[in-house]
Amino acid sequence: MLVYALVAGLLFGLYFSLVGIGLNLVFGVMRIVNLAHGDFLMLGAFIAVGVSALAALDPLFAVPLAFVVFVLVGLVLYRLLVPRLQGSVNPEMLSIILFFGLSQVIEALTTIAFGTSERSIDSSELGAILAPLRTALFGGDADGPVELFGQSFPASWAISATVSVIAIGLVYVYLYRTRLGTLTRAVMSRRDEAFATGINVDRVSAAAFGIGLGLAAVAGVFAPFMFGSVTPAFGEDATVTSFAVVVLGSLGNPLGTALGGVVYGISYMLVQTYLSSWADLLPYVLLILILLLRPSGLLGRRVRVA
Amino acid sequence: MIGRMAAAFAAGLMLATPVLAADPPAEIKIGTLYASSGRYASISMPVHSALKLWVEQKNAEGGVYVKAFDKKVPIKLVAYDDQSNTATASTLYNQLITQDKVDLLVADSGSVLTAPAVAIARDHKMFLFDQTGTGASFFSKDNPYIALMADPVSTIWPKPVADFLTHDGPALGIKKIALLYSTNEFTGTQANAVRKFIKESGAPVEIVYDQGVPTETTNYTVIINNIRAKKPDAVIHLGYAPNDIAFLRNVNEVGVKFKWMFSIYAGLETELLEKNVGVKGLQYVYTYVPPSELDYPVNFGMKMPEFRALWNKTFPDGKVEFGFNAVAGYTTALVIEKTLSVATSLDQMELRRAVFSLSGQLKTLDGTFALDETGGQIGELTPLGQLVPNEHGHLKFVAVYPHEVATGKPVYPRP
Repeated sequence: MLVYALVAGLLFGLYFSLVGIGLNLVFGVMRIVNLAHGDFLMLGAFIAVGVSALAALDPLFAVPLAFVVFVLVGLVLYRLLVPRLQGSVNPEMLSIILFFGLSQVIEALTTIAFGTSERSIDSSELGAILAPLRTALFGGDADGPVELFGQSFPASWAISATVSVIAIGLVYVYLYRTRLGTLTRAVMSRRDEAFATGINVDRVSAAAFGIGLGLAAVAGVFAPFMFGSVTPAFGEDATVTSFAVVVLGSLGNPLGTALGGVVYGISYMLVQTYLSSWADLLPYVLLILILLLRPSGLLGRRVRVA
Repeated sequence: MIGRMAAAFAAGLMLATPVLAADPPAEIKIGTLYASSGRYASISMPVHSALKLWVEQKNAEGGVYVKAFDKKVPIKLVAYDDQSNTATASTLYNQLITQDKVDLLVADSGSVLTAPAVAIARDHKMFLFDQTGTGASFFSKDNPYIALMADPVSTIWPKPVADFLTHDGPALGIKKIALLYSTNEFTGTQANAVRKFIKESGAPVEIVYDQGVPTETTNYTVIINNIRAKKPDAVIHLGYAPNDIAFLRNVNEVGVKFKWMFSIYAGLETELLEKNVGVKGLQYVYTYVPPSELDYPVNFGMKMPEFRALWNKTFPDGKVEFGFNAVAGYTTALVIEKTLSVATSLDQMELRRAVFSLSGQLKTLDGTFALDETGGQIGELTPLGQLVPNEHGHLKFVAVYPHEVATGKPVYPRP
């Protein structure tokens, strides 16, 4: 049971790293708390449902689609909302109110459009195009579970975790191997100094906001598989968990989120195994513990001075 | 002399007034809540939609007959959205009573959102038409302000499940049972009842796994692995629809073959579950057989095919699924209609008397409406059934217990 919980926690946690990383990127660059983060995740899930139901395609095709669509949505939203927010006296506090309102609007519009019922996708559809590769790597049936350390896990978990690792790797490449990424880190480190040195902070911030939303939508594509189903109200819980993962890793350090996600995932599965009734308290308990013991997060060196 | 006669006539008229019908109001106000979003939306919206459907139907006929005024009076449905939030629900229940001054109070669907209404209604001495809140703690001899309309109370609901496992189970080879439930009033009470029935039966069956998980749980993979480690012959999962969806999907995704598996909503909201779990995932799952699968004799209101046709006509977009909860909402409406037709006033205790007078007499598409002395529903019992694929690959219900209503034999172990 322990080995199963640890491996399940690792897979689950890697997925949660992807869930949280966009939120942290946006906070790190702009110091705004995107309380609608989970709602963009939910919209990503609905894109996957649409790709599967309407186009009869493997939901993996929804990954690039969701990313591109929400990067564009992010750029537009940034132009509409963020400059005015940044110009206010207390952008962090106002961002909470603004994005809470945005979250309510997104949920209401999605409810009107799609109704309140749960929606999901047949698990065997995810990664169907990669079935031969999957069988070669993990054995078993093309639409069955995968074997890891002699234990069976849902194939969708392995695929979600793999995509999450790739996405986190790409965020790393973006931050540490591209010029825009270097500028992004400069803005994350000291926004005012970056501005003084002539960096186009607005452009860097818009890119980070778009990428943050795009990553949330990509995480959303896998939500129907990781959570059984999604509804328009799914975003609220996703935001809370994302926030716990982000704070655990280090607020303002996107790559710390990867560690935060894994710690959260493993802790969740261990609690579910040994103290199942208490599992849902975990995000809050971890938040309290980390704020008491290490307020800067597990990788807190690069935390912003707010 | 004339003055005395006039005074005597006036006094006589005044004395006679109580036996005449009172002045009718412009409308009867029915207050209720619904959840258009959040965790309970999928069980709340069908109930609320059915109630609305009935209101529109009756108002199109000029209203509902109210005995207290001896005439038809239009209905005004005062409904607020609690968004599946119990704190919001508390505020709104109070608002319905104190600000809107509704004549009848109807709870939202499910035990979680009914719970705040129970205490508030009692405090305000307002009779609560409890639609589907089956939690055992709602019903007590010292609370006359509640009656359960459309579901069996949770303390007796799982009796067919426990009886099947203890009476027929040992012969099939069922000796070890796993019990997994969501920790809320609805399923927590059912879990307690299952334990009690099994213990009292004295049958050679043992509960080898007994765990509660938070109602918000959406991932059961590790829990399923833990259950598998106990090698149970039967697994009972008691949760709300999203729990059932996640649990049944995870069982299939992990490739576990439990020999006997029960879930509540596989039967109560079969359309919803089929959309999310798939036909394959629901095959041979045991569940409650919903009223839509049973041909109950009806002495009031529409029969099932008629109601189904009207539902499909009214909600053609399929955004709100037809199922057990839709039937529950309509059943509540029928009880209200019948209550108003026999109550001599809109006084809350008179409404209670009228509701209880229907016990054992009212037969709707949901079965026989029968209450115990605390207001718990004991009439609309649901048999245990199994979802079996038919020759076209679709699912059909086979009632397996009690034996007198059985339509087939249980398939064990699950193929």
